[in-house]
Amino acid sequence: MRIYEDLRGLHGRLAVIHWVMVGLMALLTVNFWQLQVLRGKYYRNLAENNRIRPVPIPAPRGLLFDRNGRVLVDNRPSFNVVLTTEQTDNLDWSIQRLSQLLQMEAAAIRERLSQKKGPQFRAMVVKADATEQDVATIEARRLEQPEASVDPVPLRAYPLGQGAAHVLGRVGEITERQLASEAYAGIEPGVTVGQAGVEAEHNRLLMGKDGLRRVVVNSRGVEVAEAERQSPVEGPSVSLSLDMKLQQAMEEAMAGRPGSAVALDPNNGEILAMVSLPSYDPNEFAKGIEPAAWSAVSTDPLTPLMNRVIQGQYSPGSSFKVLMSLAALQEGVITPQTKFNCPGYLNIYNTTFRCHKAEGHGSLDLRRAIALSCNVYFYNVGVRLGIERIARYARRTGLGAPTGVDLPAETSGLVPDPEWKRKVYKDKWYPSETVSISIGQGGVLATPLQMARLAAVVANGGRLVRPHLIKAVAGVPVPAPEAVDLGFHPSVVEGVRAGMVAVVAEGTGRRAGLAGIAVGGKTGSAQVVTHARFEADRKAHHVQPHAWFVCFAPAEKPTIAMAVLVEHGTAGGQSAAPVAGQVLSRYFGVPMTVPRIEAPEPPIFLPEPPRAAP
Amino acid sequence: MPVDRRLLINIDWVLVGACLILSAIGVATILSATHAGRGVGLELKQVYWILLGILALVVSVTLDYRRLTDRALILYVFIVVALVYVLLLGPRIQGTRRWILMGPIQFQPSEFAKLVAALLLAKVFAESKRDTLGVREILGPGMTIAVLVLLIAAEPDLGTAFCLLPPFLAVAFLGGLRPKAIAAIAGVLIVFGGLGWQFALKDYQKNRIYTFLDPSLDPKGAGYQKIQSQIAVGSGGLSGKGYKNGSQSQLGYLPARHTDFIFSVLAEEMGFLGVTAVLGLYLLVLWRSLETARVARDRVGAFLAAGITSGLAFQVVYNVAMVAGMVPVKGLPLPFMSYGGSSVIYSFLAVGLILNVRMRRFAN
Repeated sequence: MRIYEDLRGLHGRLAVIHWVMVGLMALLTVNFWQLQVLRGKYYRNLAENNRIRPVPIPAPRGLLFDRNGRVLVDNRPSFNVVLTTEQTDNLDWSIQRLSQLLQMEAAAIRERLSQKKGPQFRAMVVKADATEQDVATIEARRLEQPEASVDPVPLRAYPLGQGAAHVLGRVGEITERQLASEAYAGIEPGVTVGQAGVEAEHNRLLMGKDGLRRVVVNSRGVEVAEAERQSPVEGPSVSLSLDMKLQQAMEEAMAGRPGSAVALDPNNGEILAMVSLPSYDPNEFAKGIEPAAWSAVSTDPLTPLMNRVIQGQYSPGSSFKVLMSLAALQEGVITPQTKFNCPGYLNIYNTTFRCHKAEGHGSLDLRRAIALSCNVYFYNVGVRLGIERIARYARRTGLGAPTGVDLPAETSGLVPDPEWKRKVYKDKWYPSETVSISIGQGGVLATPLQMARLAAVVANGGRLVRPHLIKAVAGVPVPAPEAVDLGFHPSVVEGVRAGMVAVVAEGTGRRAGLAGIAVGGKTGSAQVVTHARFEADRKAHHVQPHAWFVCFAPAEKPTIAMAVLVEHGTAGGQSAAPVAGQVLSRYFGVPMTVPRIEAPEPPIFLPEPPRAAP
Repeated sequence: MPVDRRLLINIDWVLVGACLILSAIGVATILSATHAGRGVGLELKQVYWILLGILALVVSVTLDYRRLTDRALILYVFIVVALVYVLLLGPRIQGTRRWILMGPIQFQPSEFAKLVAALLLAKVFAESKRDTLGVREILGPGMTIAVLVLLIAAEPDLGTAFCLLPPFLAVAFLGGLRPKAIAAIAGVLIVFGGLGWQFALKDYQKNRIYTFLDPSLDPKGAGYQKIQSQIAVGSGGLSGKGYKNGSQSQLGYLPARHTDFIFSVLAEEMGFLGVTAVLGLYLLVLWRSLETARVARDRVGAFLAAGITSGLAFQVVYNVAMVAGMVPVKGLPLPFMSYGGSSVIYSFLAVGLILNVRMRRFAN
């Protein structure tokens, strides 16, 4: 007989458990519905972000060529050792290890990492332009140290080294300031951009378009596959107006002396050569300059990073007489035949203004006055012109304002006039100041490029060209900016030209003379300290005036205009004219005449103009 | 063999079939989870474990469950000894002492403790002939279970230790636990929970709970599993990314993806549809198992079936809820599907005992 227990009481309670179970399962199902169906898209995005990572492929920057197709800036393949901090659990250990493998200071690696910008997962460059041995070392340890890897990158190469560095410029990682600026909008942190020169001015053009790889990474961040690839578009190659041979000739001629020189085609403003010294090697910047090297170059008192051609502002000294002559002839204040007597000084406005030749030049016309750089002649011219007209002509010929050259951070120089003095010094203009201005002292400031352009005005018959560097982009010629006709009467320009030819033929600029080719030029010396300080220490280098020489050639139909400035070169005819002569001689392929200067132009010192009326 | 041919007719083939389908899905999911990386060939080992599990099931079916419950106390002593042995002499694997090594085989006595507890509970509560139970009546069984819980928790294996509570509660409830007593048990659990939090929980366990509450505290550590599992599940969407196509699983973002988080792989690759299908299968298994308790011929059988079912149910619900990020991460495998010999054999033994009860419902 079977004994069945009475289990009916149990059934009610079992039903409770049954339904609790069903309830729990229902709850789970609802939760999965919510997670997978309602929020599925959100999680799919998260999963994609987990999985797919964008890795930019830097586009090679456009190459730069000179006007004859010679390579000025190139790209070369290089390897960066990079560290993805996200992929290591022990950053200290990773750094320690890398410092041993690469023979770098751990502190240096740390410093580089501390400059890290951009997304967390983006790899940080530990060593740029790594050697083959480094690459082999890192690759061999890929498994044990997956966070360190080798990244092939195109590296900017400047085959000329320090040559033309200020024109070509340099590249570097985009700075905080650039990131915030309009011109660099849309560029990601960590990207290499132009930091100076043409590289910076035409950065957008040269950058091309970066490519993008979307890679699948596993949970350790190691790439396992490539999901998508957009190839980078290389920046277009750009032809500059520079002539590499002339550039090199100019660098040789400068012989390393601090200063600058620039040559342009007076007919269209194309810059043929541009030298600023001391220079620097942009190759050092291309791979990320070491902090120590950076601080050395950026705090050097000789400012190697500065492009003196467009940023150096100097008193033009006697080279300003070119402008004075143009203005005076055009205004009819003088004719080329007008003569003044030079007894060695001019007493005017209760002040004695000296000529550099104490015994005086005697009576002389404009041609001779320019040739011998007679101060007294131009004192007289200046007094007759008056400051307003001087300033107007100076501005019209491009002084006191940037030339508009396609280079960044150009300065404007300075053309003083009564209004300027009122604004800045809250003082009225004294007539004696006009006398100083007449010989390019007393507050006038000009860049070498502005002075070269002034020479070009005389060379091309009175047109103001816009200096520029870009000649063609991707083989398509870029039209030169329009030149402005300044409206000088041909006889005006002819008169000044004759004077400038005489400078080289028989005057202060004879050291720029060429065999068989007439050169027009003008010397200048710009005082850098007061007369008293100069007298205190006549031999010291740093008190010597800057030496100017502006010129063009051939005089009848110029194809080149130039300005040379040798800092503390003492006198234009002595140190700047030979530089110009050497450049021209190389340019035209004719020997220099190299005459001995009998009477080097001595520095000109002026008494301080009276500051306030008694 | 002392198996009556008549008994075979009463085997619940639907239950057996559902378990085998779940196991098969488990094998397929393990293959998907491991084919790309380390642990290639684990699906084959899992098949062996399943075969071993079926063997265990057959063995457990042959013995009348009443003969087992009669010997529950001896089994209990055995298991306590085994647990103490593990604690004192067991090998330390990843900071825990859970395994007994027997030659090439290693197993976790804690898995079997769950079954022994169910047997013991069924016996003890069935012998109590009262209609209702108070706190005093459940104190004895409660203490015996508490010993197992503490021994397992000390390994430490909190997940498995928790698995002993649902059978105890379920069986006590079926035994006629009075509402007041239920309240008392709840109180005790809360107090012990608090004390345990204070004194017994290891830091990593506390961290897991902290990071469950706020995964962003430790997105690379304890919070990582929860976040990644949620991403895997959620990104599966309605119909999933396809077999062997789950990026979270295949690229290694999911931790323990062939063991405790196997359901996450399934959810990612098979989507909500796959999830509902598998949850439906589990509900079928649990429903049929509990149904056995209803049709059992005696209280021992009913209690045994209910105890085992509630243990299984807890494990399924907790594991799936953990995968969905609803509860803190605990090392608790999903019955039938997770890779692992002990878990698989436990699952089949548990179902074997339930079949045992069901097929003998008419027998004397």
